[in-house]
Parts: sequence; structure tokens; C-alpha cells
Amino acid sequence: MRKQERRALICLLLAFVLFAGTGVFTYRYFKDGAKWAGFYGNTQIFTDGSINRGTVTDRHDELLLHCSPDGLEYSDDWTTRVSTIHAVGDLNGNISSGAINMFASQLIGYDIVNGTYDTSANGKTIQLTIDAEANRTAYNALNGRTGAVGVYNWQTGEIVCMVSTPSFDPYEGVSEDNEESIYFNNFLSGAMTPGSTFKLVTAASVIDNLADRDEFSFECDGVNQYGDSDTEFRCVYEHGEVDFREALAVSCNGAFGKLSRELGGKALKKTTDQVGLSKSLEFDGIETAAGSFKFPTDDDVRLSWAGIGQAQDLVNPCAMMVYMGAIANGGEAIEPTLIKSTSFIDEIRGAKTIGRYLDESTAAELKDMMKNNVVENYGEENFPGMDIYAKSGSAETGGDDSDAWFVGFTNDEEAPYAFVVWIKEGGAGASDAAPVAGQVIQSLQNSNYYE
Amino acid sequence: MVLAAYILLIAIVSLLTTRATPEIWGYYLVEDGGSFPITHWENVIGRSKSADLNIPLVTVSNNQAILSRYDDDHWLLKDLESENGTFVNGQQLDSDKRYLIEPGDEIVMGGVYSTVTPPSVEESMNNEVMRRMDKEPVAPWKILLAITIFQAMTVVQLVLGMGEKITAGAVASFIVLAVVMWAYVTFFKSMGRKGFEMEMIAFFMSTINLAVTTSFDPSSTFKELVALLLGVALMIFMCVYLRDLERTKKVRPILIGLSVMALLINLIFGRAEFGATNWISIGSLQMQPSEIVKLAFVAIGAGTLEELYDKRNTVMYALFSLYCLACLALMNDFGTALIFFGTYLVVSFLRSGDFSRMILTAVAAGAMGLMVLKFKSHVAERFASWGHVWDPEIMDAGGYQQTRTMSMGAGGGLLGLGAGNGSLKGVVASNTDLVFGFVMEEWGLIIAVLLVMCIITLSLFAVMSIVAGRSTFYTICACGAATIFLIQTMLNVFGSIDLFPLTGVTFPFVSTGGTSMLSSWAMLAYFKASDMRRDASLAVRRGEG
Ligand SMILES: [Zn+2]
Repeated sequence: MRKQERRALICLLLAFVLFAGTGVFTYRYFKDGAKWAGFYGNTQIFTDGSINRGTVTDRHDELLLHCSPDGLEYSDDWTTRVSTIHAVGDLNGNISSGAINMFASQLIGYDIVNGTYDTSANGKTIQLTIDAEANRTAYNALNGRTGAVGVYNWQTGEIVCMVSTPSFDPYEGVSEDNEESIYFNNFLSGAMTPGSTFKLVTAASVIDNLADRDEFSFECDGVNQYGDSDTEFRCVYEHGEVDFREALAVSCNGAFGKLSRELGGKALKKTTDQVGLSKSLEFDGIETAAGSFKFPTDDDVRLSWAGIGQAQDLVNPCAMMVYMGAIANGGEAIEPTLIKSTSFIDEIRGAKTIGRYLDESTAAELKDMMKNNVVENYGEENFPGMDIYAKSGSAETGGDDSDAWFVGFTNDEEAPYAFVVWIKEGGAGASDAAPVAGQVIQSLQNSNYYE
Repeated sequence: MVLAAYILLIAIVSLLTTRATPEIWGYYLVEDGGSFPITHWENVIGRSKSADLNIPLVTVSNNQAILSRYDDDHWLLKDLESENGTFVNGQQLDSDKRYLIEPGDEIVMGGVYSTVTPPSVEESMNNEVMRRMDKEPVAPWKILLAITIFQAMTVVQLVLGMGEKITAGAVASFIVLAVVMWAYVTFFKSMGRKGFEMEMIAFFMSTINLAVTTSFDPSSTFKELVALLLGVALMIFMCVYLRDLERTKKVRPILIGLSVMALLINLIFGRAEFGATNWISIGSLQMQPSEIVKLAFVAIGAGTLEELYDKRNTVMYALFSLYCLACLALMNDFGTALIFFGTYLVVSFLRSGDFSRMILTAVAAGAMGLMVLKFKSHVAERFASWGHVWDPEIMDAGGYQQTRTMSMGAGGGLLGLGAGNGSLKGVVASNTDLVFGFVMEEWGLIIAVLLVMCIITLSLFAVMSIVAGRSTFYTICACGAATIFLIQTMLNVFGSIDLFPLTGVTFPFVSTGGTSMLSSWAMLAYFKASDMRRDASLAVRRGEG
């Protein structure tokens, strides 16, 4: 008997396996329950594959999307639909980072205790941080060109404007030939040649690494042949003798090529990594595309090209925007977000920091130089009422025209915005991208100054 | 919710804290070795450390003889082909036979004198007092009332959730269940029985079962209830029948015959559903013979200590197991085959002595080979999606049922959407194979997990109760039944939530299905038979246990 009794303990082992398995599942439930509940196979909250409850609004409670068992109801206004579709998302989940897909569990009012229990079956309202008016302005300013506009509050992290073109109207059919590009969110998922905007990274590296940068000078002849080869770091015109500060203001390729060589590949790579351009950002469950760079240590020519944002450099617009915010914020980068926090606790805790991108002194010097760019080159009168700091870029990508960039920030207690504008084959940054930024900031200031 | 937690908590705590004091049935006196209390009905005498009555002398065999209780004064002694033989009053015992021992008879093993004496009257009294001091099982009334309230609330929820779709038959089923539950407890209580925790757990789980069945298809609730009542009746019958060990032993060959027939009929007339041919129809009645054979499988695998040392019995069991597995393999019923195989392994482990191990291991290996051959392609298919059900190309194909189970199950949160409000019922087999998700959605994760805890509690209790067990027969029965419940629950729950490939077996008591319900209740008889708390078990005559 005793032997059998002792062996009966094997049942305990089985019981333990059952217990442990249930424990594992419970753990997974707490970890992934929201994701599971928001899965389109959940017929409780999906009718014909389409979410059947919940509302999405912009930061001023303007309706962007209402879900009901009858289908999805977007804004009545065409421009609003087209300019916010990448933020709101579409029925079929083609826009993977859209709110309807990313925040399905919030939309359906899921919580761990009550699940999707909801007597009214109306779901919850998600307030996005974007400003519909700013999005419309940005969309109109892009005026049919392919591009991306992103603006966020570099103190709170709230993305107030996010537009990607080409776009589409969810109420209209989509022709198959441009399907890929219209679903693609250039701002979050794109990676493009940064052109001269990258000089802000090279400049940061110079400030950090070259103590004698005040003695730097370069004689620009407009062509700037280098070495015995026929490599030329052409400028738009003959800049003559420029120092470091002046070189950024006029965006002298020759000078920055030389600075890059003085820095070396290692230092440039270190700074690029440090300011977050080489890795992807993660916020609200969204993962942005990572930038990619090559800084050869044995090829001066290619290193020079890399230092002025050409060659194999690719940057993600969102990451660039966050870097602008970090310069504005004394070197500390704030994590972006697309959902307006509703909880009191979140308000108190404030913005989430990603970490320190730059030393405070480096940020200050860079900021000063970016102001100088505007004063000397872009003209403050073009940005009325805005305390603006910026850098333009015109990236050569082999297209008919260069890609136009304009990146920077405003230093304004009421409206502290960091922005990025990219227009594919849009021409020159200062003349073609800068006005888009100006109009969007203007719009944001109008609607948010006294909120 | 709170009510459910309360019901289960009381039952679980009561089951796990009250325990039986081993009784002393007599004393075994050894020359120069003192006296050993005999606490079991069946005892191995021998040199082996695991022997119940241990005589550490080299002249004594490891397992010398078996001493089993005949009645209050008499014992039976059987020699286990010991090296030096066993002698009673100078006569050598034939190892094929059992010999009746009177108190004071002179037993000689390996040159050692010993004898058996009954406990003195005084000791019997002490024993009685000790058992009286055992913690009493909780009075059933509070739990009973709680379950009834729970049932009433369930009906209200169903009516609110389903509106006009609910039928009078479904509502009546709940009322009948409540009445039967009260009648059961009142009747046996009036007969002086105590300890109804296991039945309370089963009644609670059955309530959830009726709720699931009603939510899925209200017109089938009454049928489910009938199966449930038949199950309760079968359980009571089995409890009474199991009281008499000799009688039970005699019925086993008949059980083997019936089981063999049932599986054979299934093989010939079986109807396929979801790939497995495990259904037969008799007129309009549909049943799964394998569910019933499961019951017999437990009793056939169990044996008294004497039988465990009997080669013929072991061979018989091994052959029967092999036959069952072969039939299940032919039926393509991988899930049930796994249950039988797992139970076979556990029971074999319990049975295996020195020589039976060989036979049992050989059959296990053979069975394994058979399963591998038969289910290779089938298993490969299921295992392919296992652990990957959320992969985009699998979630709507091989992982369809699992992703729906988890998704809608998670939609229920911790507290559930309410009985009748679920959406998982739109998925095939949601009330049987995916019932864990069904309960999660309508009743919440807490109750779903509590149901698993119910099964665990029942099996823990089975293990704890055998400490005071009388015969290995009951021990093996209880462990066999516990193993079946545990493996079944594991396969059902883990299969539906992708911790294991989906095999399509039922959750005891909870899954919809007449045969499953019936066999779950009947299986409870094996647990009751091992419940040695005073007056707790129907399967033990009053005052005796
Ligand atoms: Zn120049």
C-alpha cells in the first residue's frame, strides 16, 4: 500500500502542470489581453470585419471618425478626411499605424477588469493630439505634391500635425496603381536623403569634438574640388571665406565636407546615434522607420558626402522632428504621442523623455546658429509672429528636382513646436518647404494660443 | 461573481483542510520486533523499505506476503512466491491461495515468528475518539444556498441577455437542477452523511454547463439536464456498488466485455464529426461510447494489492489498454487516445511492481509506437500551427478557433459580459472544445480559472484522501479518475488557448455534451469511494469508514 500511496503523488505533478499552464495563460492575458480583444476576429466588437464602436476626435473634439455597427463614419469635410486618414486609419487596416488599428483596444473601451463590457455599446472616445485645422492647412500647402509634414510640441510631446501625401479619401475607391504609396505614412515610415538638414548633426558633432572650431575657415569657390579626382562639393554660389557659423547659415557644402573630414567617420557616427537618427522610435505602440547611415573611415570623399547629408544617408522625418525638439529643449528629447492624455495622473507626470540627445551647451550653441540661419538666410519677415529657428535642405536624389526640406522649431512658451517638412522633388528647402512650415505654424498658433 | 468565488472557496478550503485520521485495524506482532499498527486493509509484509509491515531480515523476501482484512477478527494471508516460504501454524502456504488467519495464529517467515491481533476494545474506543476530533466537513447548507442564488442569478442573466430566444425548457432545467441538488443533499444528510463538497463543486460546474448550453442553444438544455441527472444516478449507484470490493472485482470481466463491445460497435457504426469517428446514433439518441469506456477503464486498471502481484491481472489490463488505444487510433480520436494513454501511464506507474514493470513498459512502448504511426500526419498538422496561431497566415486558418477563443475570451475581461451575451458561440465547437473561452467571455477570466481550480481541487483531494485508504483498488481508482480529469482539462484548456495543439476533448462537467456530462458525474464515484472522512463517502458503509 505504502508504495502505491507514495506513487500517487504523480497526480500532484499533473495537477501542477495544469496549474502552471493556467498561470502562464493568465500572465499572457494580462500582457496581451487588450491586443486579443481588439483582434478583428472578435465578433463582439467587429461587424463584418469593421470595428463597431468608438469615436476618434482631434484635439479640439472635432469628429474625425465614428464607428458603429452600421459602418465607419468619417468627417463630412473632404480635406479633413484626406489630411487625417493616416492618423485615423482605414477600415481594412491598410494604414497600420492608424488610430483605428493601433488603439482598437481603447476605442472599444477595453479594460482588463470589464473586458469589452459596455452597456451602451458606444465604445470610448479617443482624442488624438492632432489639430485637424493644422492638418488641413498642411495638406493644402503641400498642394498635390508628395511629402510629409510633422509638428509636435517639444515640451509635452503631443503631435499636433501629421500629414502624409499622396493621400486618399476613405469614402472613395482607391485605384490599384497608387495603392502602395497612399497607404504609406511618409512621416512615420519613410526614410529619405536628408540633404543639408543633416548639417545640424555634423554641426553638433563639431561643437562636441572640435575645440578650435572658432578658428575654422574655408575658402568657397562655389565648385570646391577635392583631392586629385574630379570630386566637387558644389555650392549654390561662391560663398568666399566662411567660418563655422557662417558655413551653416549659407549651408556651404565645401566647408561642411572639410569639417566632416576633420571629425572623422567615428565621431560623426557617434553623434548620429546619439541624436536618435539611426534607430527607430517607439511611442503609443507605433514603431517608426529607422534611419541608416554609412560613415566610412577610409574614404574621405564618401565621408564628406555623408557629412552633408548625401551619399547613403537616410533619415526618418519623425526622428528628425524629435531631434529638433531636443535642440529646442536644451538637449533633452521628449517622446512624441498621438493620444491626448485623459488621466489626471498623466497630466501631472508630464511628458516622457527619451533621454539626452545633446549637452545643454551644445544645444544652446546650435540653437543660436539656427536662429542665425533664419536671420541671415531665410528672413524673419517670412515668419511673422514666430520666434523661429531652422535649417533648410535640398537633397539630391537623382530625380527631376531636389527634395525640399525645412526643419526646426519655434521657441514660444505658448506654442513650442518642433517641425519637419519634406517635399519630394519640391525644389529648394528655403523657398519651397519653408512656406509650408510657416503656414502650418501660423495655423497652429491661431487655434492653440489661448487653449 | 463574488458568490461563485465564495462557493468555490468554501468547498476548496473544506476539502483540503479536513482530513481523515488513519484507523487502526489490528496489530501485527513480530518476535523481538515489537508490534506494528495495521492501518490499511491491504498490507505488504517484507524486507523492502516500502513494505507496509517491514521486517528487516535477510531471510525475509522483499515482498514476502500480503495481509488483507477479511472481517473484524479475520485476516487473509497470501504468500508472494517468497524465497523461504511462509508458514502458518507449521503449514507452508501455497502461493496460489489465500489463507484465513485467526487472531493468535503463528506465522513464520524466514524463521521469524509473528502474529496478528485485533485492536483491544479500549483502543477501538480511542480510535473512535480520535476520528471524532477530526475537523468536520462544513455543513452544506450555506454553500447550497449560495449555489441556488447563483443559479437564480444565472437564469436572470440569461433571460436579460437572450431575451425571447430563451425557452421555457431551459429555465425549467435550472429549476430542476436546483431541486435535485437540494433533494440530494437533504436525503443523504438525513441518512447521516456528511461531506458534500465534491458534489457541490460538481453542481456548481454543472450550473455553468447549463448556462453555456443554454446560451449556445436553449433547445438542447433539457437534454443536457437529463444526461446530468442520469449521471448523478449512476454516481449514486456506483458508490453503493463500489462499497463491496469482492463484488466490484467480480463485475470487472463484464466491464471489459462491454467496453470491448462498445468500442467495436463504435468502430463499425461510428459517425465522424470534426475528423474523429467517435459518435454513434441509436435512434435519435447520439452518444460517444469512448466517454463511457473511460469509466470502465479506471475500474479495470485498478486492482487490490493482491491483484497487483498477479501476473494474469497485469497482462489483462495491458492487453485491454492496448485494445482501447488501437480502437481510438482507428477512430482517429487523437484527444481521447491521449487521455487513455496518459491514464494508462499513471495507472501503470501505480501498479508496477518488480515483475509487472516489464509488461507494462513493453505495452506502453507499443502503444506509443502505434500512436506515432497513426497520428503522425494528423499531429504534424496540428503542431504546425501550435504556438503560432497569431501569425497572419495562420490566425484565420489553422489557428482560427484558438485566436477566436483568446480574442473573444479576452473581451470578457475578468468579470465577463454576462451569461447569454457572448459572441464566441458563432464559432464551431465553442461550447465543447473551446468552452474555456466561452466561459471567459460570458463569465470572465476569474470564473474560468476557478473552474480549472475545481478540477485541481478534486484531484488534490483524491491524492490526500488515499493516505487513509483501505485498498489499492480505491487508491488507483481515485488517481485514475483524477488523471483523466486533469489530462482532459489540460487538453481542453491548453488546446483552446494555444498552450498545446487543439485536440478537441471536453472539459469535465463544463463542456456541453450528454455523454461527457454523464461520465463526469459517474467519475465522481471514484473520488467518493476514496473519501475516508467519517460518513463522508456514500461509497463507504456508515460507521465502517
Ligand atoms: Zn560654399
